[in-house]
Amino acid sequence: MAEFGYLSRQGDRMVVVENTPRVHNLIVCTLCSCYPWPVLGLPPVWYKSAPYRSRSVIDPRGVLREFGLELSTDVEVRVWDSTAELRYLVLPERPAGTAQLREEQLAALVTRDSMVGVAKVSPPQPGSFS
Amino acid sequence: MNGIHDMGGMQDMGPIQYEKGEPVFHASWEARVFAMFAATGAWRKWNLDAFRHTREVLPPDDYLRVSYYEQWLSGLLDLLVRRGLVTAAEIESGVPAPGAARATPPLTADKIPAALLNRIHANRDVQVSPRFQTGQRVRARNINPVGHTRLPRYARGKIGTVDRDHGVFVFPDTNAHYLGEKPQHVYSVRFAARELWGEQAPQKDSVYLDMWDDYLDAA
Repeated sequence: MAEFGYLSRQGDRMVVVENTPRVHNLIVCTLCSCYPWPVLGLPPVWYKSAPYRSRSVIDPRGVLREFGLELSTDVEVRVWDSTAELRYLVLPERPAGTAQLREEQLAALVTRDSMVGVAKVSPPQPGSFS
Repeated sequence: MNGIHDMGGMQDMGPIQYEKGEPVFHASWEARVFAMFAATGAWRKWNLDAFRHTREVLPPDDYLRVSYYEQWLSGLLDLLVRRGLVTAAEIESGVPAPGAARATPPLTADKIPAALLNRIHANRDVQVSPRFQTGQRVRARNINPVGHTRLPRYARGKIGTVDRDHGVFVFPDTNAHYLGEKPQHVYSVRFAARELWGEQAPQKDSVYLDMWDDYLDAA
């Protein structure tokens, strides 16, 4: 991440967890609001809210459904509750049909929500990189 | 402390309210509170664990009712007085008391970038033996301290597996109360969803928590 200029001002240790077709990771802080500031900025209100913090650990699939993401039962869900000074970041799954895209085109597809794990990265809209 | 902030596993908090195109701050006072957090923290009269604890001791109805940055402001005011940077009377009046000692040198805007970089880190470069190894089965202790802790209720007494060792960090349960850093290893511990929530949880799912040595026993 330092290579891309994301230096941790807070000195937080970053841990990147990778989403695959078999594993889906979700980040939460049930006790307060820990969030990877150096990379994603300050957290949105929903991330700090009681509904998200309370249910992400007991019903992550229900939480993801509220974000419009239905996971297949054969996908393993791993929830990361940020209880220490480690900051978690999801490496989203690369969407289908992006083999030809350049780095900056891929970067443009990645969203904050996909790096928290509440969304997947959507494939590019037809014609968006023409 | 078994407070309202420890809400992992509660189910009656309502739907998640997602705001599209959400601004970083919803009002200019929120940005000001955030800046106060950075500026007053630079005096090192408290630590992040102590700051977190100020939110935890809010009465539960206040905790749920007020906004996030109102919680921060309340915590900052508490620390400013408790740690002797200002008096309650000065907060009430909004001006320094006549003859009040000034913090020197003053923290001016040009010093902020360096002050931010100079933040107290929680990891410690000291030799402390880990009590557990990767792959080891562990049980989270059933502790119920009235002070600050980062061991959520929903994991207490549960059995998990050490996934990785993150190295040595200060211990929040003592650090929040200025009782010493008690540096020790922190691990990611994997708990099966079924261990935490029972048989209705999906078989393969899991929750990973960061756990200090003092939160764990061998299982």
